[in-house]
Amino acid sequence: MTGKQKKQISQAIQIVLILITIFVMLVPILWIFMAAFKNHIDVFQLKLFFTPTLENFGTVFEAPYHLGMKLWNSTIVAFVTVALAIPIATMAAYSFSRFRLRGKTAMLVVILATQFMPAVVIILPFFVMFRDVGLLDTRIGLVLVNLAIVMPFAIWMIKGFIDGIPIDTEEAAMVDGSSRIMVIRNIVLPMAAPGLLTAGIFCFIIAWNEFLFALILTNKDAVTLPIGLALFKAEEGDLWNLLSAAGIIIMLPMFILALIIRKYFVQGMTMGAVR
Amino acid sequence: MASVILKNLTKCWGDFIGVDNQSLDIQDHEFLVLLGPSGCGKTTTMRMIAGLEDPTDGEIWIGDRMVNDDLPKDRHVAMVFQNYGLYPHMTVFDNIAYPLRVRGTPKGEIEPRVKKAAGQVELIELLHRKPKALSGGQRQRVALARAIVRTPRVFLMDEPLSNLDAKLRVTMRAELKHLSRELKITTIYVTHDQIEAMTLADRIAVMKDGIIQQVGTPDEIYNDPASLFVAGFIGSPAMNLINGSVQDGYFVTTGGTKLVAVSVPDKPDVVLGVRADDMRISEEGEGDIDARIYAFEHTGEATLLTVQWGTQRVIVRGARHLRKEQGEIVSISLGSDHLYLFNPDTGKRIRG
Repeated sequence: MTGKQKKQISQAIQIVLILITIFVMLVPILWIFMAAFKNHIDVFQLKLFFTPTLENFGTVFEAPYHLGMKLWNSTIVAFVTVALAIPIATMAAYSFSRFRLRGKTAMLVVILATQFMPAVVIILPFFVMFRDVGLLDTRIGLVLVNLAIVMPFAIWMIKGFIDGIPIDTEEAAMVDGSSRIMVIRNIVLPMAAPGLLTAGIFCFIIAWNEFLFALILTNKDAVTLPIGLALFKAEEGDLWNLLSAAGIIIMLPMFILALIIRKYFVQGMTMGAVR
Repeated sequence: MASVILKNLTKCWGDFIGVDNQSLDIQDHEFLVLLGPSGCGKTTTMRMIAGLEDPTDGEIWIGDRMVNDDLPKDRHVAMVFQNYGLYPHMTVFDNIAYPLRVRGTPKGEIEPRVKKAAGQVELIELLHRKPKALSGGQRQRVALARAIVRTPRVFLMDEPLSNLDAKLRVTMRAELKHLSRELKITTIYVTHDQIEAMTLADRIAVMKDGIIQQVGTPDEIYNDPASLFVAGFIGSPAMNLINGSVQDGYFVTTGGTKLVAVSVPDKPDVVLGVRADDMRISEEGEGDIDARIYAFEHTGEATLLTVQWGTQRVIVRGARHLRKEQGEIVSISLGSDHLYLFNPDTGKRIRG
């Protein structure tokens, strides 16, 4: 066998492996995509060819499902979470990155350690606490919970980006006549922007997909999309076509965000490396 | 424009002393170079003047004002960093304009001043580019332009040429010298490169272990070193330092060779310093002492002979066209001028 043939074979193997991986990962999504456009009868048959219908997307927004309200809840919760998390995390990350703080390493580890705890462990205390202060089944309550989930993540991530900004650049700006606040506004924020965007999108995805806390802490007014999916379990069985339509509504923003993030994520990763 | 005065300046981190109780007067318009090996406290001294580091003790005066408690932005100094410290998200124009903008310079004034500064460092063509699209030398010019655009009271330059390749460094050095003579602004320049120090400075302060060893003109530092450290640090090749003693008015090497007459009282332990240029090479038997050639090097504009003197090796600079082989015997003569004697224990110069 010549070297060229060897190379071709190994390339062929690579392609096959990639195809298998893609197949395994995409089949469920493909199935949902098809089911969402099928009617109630077609959905139980593994037909690849059928008459597509948009009916399901209409039904899920009508009574008794009212997916619109859940969509609204999810949107509000995710956006408000991000809008609060990123500025706060940026300030924390800047301090961790640039100032000499007493017990800095310990604080960073503790912040991260909150993520190691299984959510189930703290969900009951949360429930009791929220019941006592009247935050059960409110969007504010969910925003608070989501903040607790995304903040450690956001702080660590943004700190990484700020660490990548050469300190010389900040010092130059200070000698050039800027106060610390001006340095942050004029130099750090623009340079860390791809990082902030990446962190923001990550937080959005986490908040948008959050299931466990929303399941326990809401029941009527503040129910979010992932919980809404459970509505499609009816007496006559699972309503797969409606479930799939709702699934697509949940996934769509994620796909769009993933496309945006891909570009900035790579950019953010390499920003500090090239001087 | 202003003088800079350091009074008993000290910087410690825990037990580590970066700068140890140092005082220095830098005149108005002066170009002072802080020279020393890495970790000697020269950069720390400069960062304290800029306000990027708080002194543990002592005072910093710029002009007639003590600036210890002033923020960097209020000290009216401009700094050029080793890594340039450019703003990568701004164009060259905006980089240079930044100090003017944050200081609230009227809009109409900004453009002509940026253009003038850019012109002085030959950057006019590149004003619309981002730093990413510039070469190292061009980036350093942007940093320079950003420093000169607002006529600061003091220039601070932290190893500004050390990231450039050797050839560019020589060109930029000349440009820096030209610019500094033209602008006549007090400049403090940090470097570990003695050639940069010698060529640029009005005065050099040689630092080691947080202490200024000697302050003087390049001529004084080179021709009249105050200590063993300064003598060994300045000059390329480094000054030859030969261990021995003074007996009956002669310097005698540790090996017992009577080398040269010196005008100091007898002393058991001394170090004789002599530069490679201050010795003459002649054929075997014609000079003061004969020695075997350990290595012969040709640098283009001169030759360098390393000869073995007992246990010590000594470097002598020879004429451009001298040709010798390794292992040959030559004779070396020492003039009685330009010989330096040091106390090996204190490192201090012994003067006749």
